[in-house]
Amino acid sequence: MEDSWKKQIIPLLPLHLQPLFASLTGHLGQSLEEIRFRSGQPLILHTDWGEVMLGPDGPVNVQQKAYYTTADDLQNIVLQMTEYSLYARDEELKRGYLALPGGHRAGFAGRVVMEENRVKLLRDISSINIRIARQIKGAGLPLLPHVYCEKLQRVRHTLIVSPPQAGKTTMLRDLARILSDGDAAEKRPGFKVGIVDERSEIAGCFRGKPQLDVGCRSDVLDGCPKGEGLMMLVRSMSPQVVVTDELGRAEDARAVEEAVNTGASVLATAHGQNLKELIRRPSLAYLLENGIFERIIFLSRRKGPGTIEGIYSGDFIQEWLRTGGKEDVDKMVGSSLNNYS
Amino acid sequence: MWIKWLGAALIITASMIWGNFQAEKLRERTRQLEEFRLALRLLAAEIGYTATPLPRALSLVAERLTLREVQNFFSLIGQELQQSTGIDAATAWLKAAQTARHYLYLTPRDWTVLSRAAAGLGTLGREDQLKQLAAAEAQLASHAADAAEKCASGEKMWRYLGALCGMAVVILLL
Repeated sequence: MEDSWKKQIIPLLPLHLQPLFASLTGHLGQSLEEIRFRSGQPLILHTDWGEVMLGPDGPVNVQQKAYYTTADDLQNIVLQMTEYSLYARDEELKRGYLALPGGHRAGFAGRVVMEENRVKLLRDISSINIRIARQIKGAGLPLLPHVYCEKLQRVRHTLIVSPPQAGKTTMLRDLARILSDGDAAEKRPGFKVGIVDERSEIAGCFRGKPQLDVGCRSDVLDGCPKGEGLMMLVRSMSPQVVVTDELGRAEDARAVEEAVNTGASVLATAHGQNLKELIRRPSLAYLLENGIFERIIFLSRRKGPGTIEGIYSGDFIQEWLRTGGKEDVDKMVGSSLNNYS
Repeated sequence: MWIKWLGAALIITASMIWGNFQAEKLRERTRQLEEFRLALRLLAAEIGYTATPLPRALSLVAERLTLREVQNFFSLIGQELQQSTGIDAATAWLKAAQTARHYLYLTPRDWTVLSRAAAGLGTLGREDQLKQLAAAEAQLASHAADAAEKCASGEKMWRYLGALCGMAVVILLL
């Protein structure tokens, strides 16, 4: 993977840290996933093979030699990311993140100021996590036969489930791209794809423009709540496929159900490790019980991000839930569709 | 003899120029204060309606102003922020103020208000930012009214004073 993140991220860092990050080359630069700044704590880089502390002269093994982030560094980074204008990005900051050029994102933690039981603003920021966006074209291809029904030339309602950082958004983005672009050689038509990108993670929009390739027939509704966004897209853009990230709330489930009823196929993700964990969340349990999703795909990081752990049909899950959902689902005969589409 | 008259004419002209300059300073201060008020209102509109980030908002404000000196002030801050030199908006504002002091006819009291407008610039939420700009604009309005009053009474006075001082010197010398 290339380290093009440098062009977009380095100018946002304090001047004295810029040469340090510019010198990150080779494997470390290419496998970087997160840059963690915590006030008064060592500067830590997370890669797909582990974590590394960064010292004034480069990576270090001993904590004492690491560069310790200061409050001024954090303030400086926030100001650079907001173009010295917190007011311009305060809606995003309230939600705890900022979309950055290149599809990257910065997450924040600090003191939350509440007003009428809602987050009014985030101030005294004490931690910043810069997440490097890596678009892996082709990542979704192994899932395509399960998601796309060649016989009927339609996309199945699909839920991709994984714990954080196991590649579900990468898969979702790539599936959106593949379905949107189509493939004339394989006689797969391109679909009109509507993406509701509540947290700018799928298309990595910066100032409304997708920074990551989500296909030529995709329309992105950036920063919009899923519930409202799905219906807005269905009404205004006539999508054949609607794509959204991280279902969980009751209104998300209602919007998915409505979108399905309009005839659009739904591709979505949810946080979770396994089926039992998934059905503990009422809104997701409701969708599964009612057979809304035709395919449920589980991913993990076991063999690297995007490891496919199991693919289940919606009918099977419905049946399993009808029997009380107590049996170990993975031991049931024919439970997983891993080996056939 | 004609040299004496020439000298006298020169003294009176210089003195009138000095008087006119003093009168001009009064009038310019009023115009500059009004222009700063307009600039703060434009900046508030950029922040309030379109949430334009400061580097762009300041450049847009500068483009819409007519007094070149005030225009330069806002352009300077905008450019400083666009260059991403690591200094925040308030510091860039104060730095531009240091430069502008040399060519603007504002008083230290006016600069105090403008410096206060810079405090927290870009680091506040939208509502607080607008309140801060509105407060500075209101204070500048009172300064502008005061300056206009001084200008009305002082402008003629300085002009006459210039001419009269010149004549007085000439009489004394002759």
